[in-house]
Amino acid sequence: MPVVEFLQFTLSGVVFGMIYAAIALSLVLIWRGTRLLNYAQGGMAMFTTYVAIEVIYHTGSYWAGFVVALAAGVVLGAVCQLTVIRPTMNKPPLNAVIVTIGLLILLEGLAGIFFGGQYRSFPAAFSITGLKVGTTPLGVSRFDVFVVAAVLVTTLALAAAFRYTSVGLRMRASAFNATIARLSGIRVARMLTIGWALAGLLGALAGVLVSPSTFLYPNSMDAIFVFGFTAAVIGGLDSPVGAVVGGLLLGIALSYVAGYLGSKGSELTSLVALGILVVVLMIRPDGLFSATKVRRV
Amino acid sequence: MSSAAAEHNGSPALAVEGLVAGYGGVVALDGVSISAGTAAITAVLGANGAGKTTLLRAVSGMIRPRRGRVLLGGTDLAGRSPEQMVRAGVAHVPEGQGVIPELTVEENLRIGMMSWPSGRGRAPAGSAGPRSSRAERAAALDEAYGRFRPLADRRRKLAATLSGGERQMLVIARALLSRPHVLLLDEPSLGLAPRIMAQVMDLVVRLSREQGLTIVLVEQNARSALAIADHGVVLNLGRVVASADAQTLAADIALRHHYLGF
Repeated sequence: MPVVEFLQFTLSGVVFGMIYAAIALSLVLIWRGTRLLNYAQGGMAMFTTYVAIEVIYHTGSYWAGFVVALAAGVVLGAVCQLTVIRPTMNKPPLNAVIVTIGLLILLEGLAGIFFGGQYRSFPAAFSITGLKVGTTPLGVSRFDVFVVAAVLVTTLALAAAFRYTSVGLRMRASAFNATIARLSGIRVARMLTIGWALAGLLGALAGVLVSPSTFLYPNSMDAIFVFGFTAAVIGGLDSPVGAVVGGLLLGIALSYVAGYLGSKGSELTSLVALGILVVVLMIRPDGLFSATKVRRV
Repeated sequence: MSSAAAEHNGSPALAVEGLVAGYGGVVALDGVSISAGTAAITAVLGANGAGKTTLLRAVSGMIRPRRGRVLLGGTDLAGRSPEQMVRAGVAHVPEGQGVIPELTVEENLRIGMMSWPSGRGRAPAGSAGPRSSRAERAAALDEAYGRFRPLADRRRKLAATLSGGERQMLVIARALLSRPHVLLLDEPSLGLAPRIMAQVMDLVVRLSREQGLTIVLVEQNARSALAIADHGVVLNLGRVVASADAQTLAADIALRHHYLGF
């Protein structure tokens, strides 16, 4: 039945879209603070997912691994910013970019040394058998519902924190105008560290949520990072809302490609993502959700 | 605020001695000494590139001076960060672009209170006074709205929607919320219509006369700055070429022609 098929592809696209959205949001958080694209975001997520799998293995508790992974993401983000990124501030922007690429290589190398290079399967929190309405399969599982809910809750919590808390206001002020923020007594450097920590949290979440369907290995997050990056560019690197919408659009589009083109389709997804990226950059280089240029300093 | 002014009575609230500062290989300030009297308006004048803005940036910590002292109430604070300087009582309103258009008017104002000691936890080092409560912050906001009525009506609107004059009002209101002793104003009248500009100048006078604020006013528009200032300093290529009370400078025709262009 074409309608059912379409619904299944759409729902499964939403699930992956939410994961891309989480990665895209983590990139946006760092981009807004420092105009830096963090190429190590996927590598950081991969590393914290390994931490999760070790904790799950040793404690037998999925949730212990889940929580530790998120905490590890916060710590890893903050530590990376404090140790290798902070010294590149006030230097040419390319320095920081190269440092994040170096960080990615370092993390993937360390993961290989500590955890080995073989593919490992990662458990899911809930059943991965497809849900059905009556006898019609929906194409999504309980775990998929959890994926969507987890990203949604985290995103809304972050949005509320940015909107309503003092730290959120300080972070926004630092991102929009660091000079004014500093002159007002805001410790901008600290805000950047918090931004990296939150980005680490989102990346860790994405890693734990995507790994049941991809296996875990030192490069396992590379493709997810590329999709997350594409989603962020579609939305405009400046816009958190755009990152989420971009993630969903990309997830659904890739799901249609993989679904309707059969076995050839799943090989084409990366190519299609690249195509979408090129088209967006040609038509709306600032992304679909770019704010009107109210300020150009 | 008048009590803070009384503390330093007799000595200047802000004094800069032998300040040398620059960018890379360029020396923008070459041994500048000025003193800004307590509760007085000191106008810093000069052509483009004279070093006026650099002077303010060196005082507020935006750039680190290479040599010299920045004395605030007698204490040398040269080389401190902007975060520390605002806590020490120096508010710097930089030229143009002072509002954050992506934030609401109220959020812009709340940023002005970020230097206050936080309500809980330890008070940050170097900050005077007791920790501030939520009620105290709300009261300070109300006071700002009371003084700047047009901002009260627009508090939930994005600052991007404000006119030029309202924006200048907003940045000055925000600077005042940090409860400064010394206010550094960089070209507050830039790009404003003459009538609005007169209002801003009027506000500057009232802040000094009524609130006892020490004001350092950088202006291209030397004529209107000298009209409200108590003291004037003329910079040229990073050096002080004249320093006298405002009437004397305004009456010095040769100086005016040579450095001030009127």
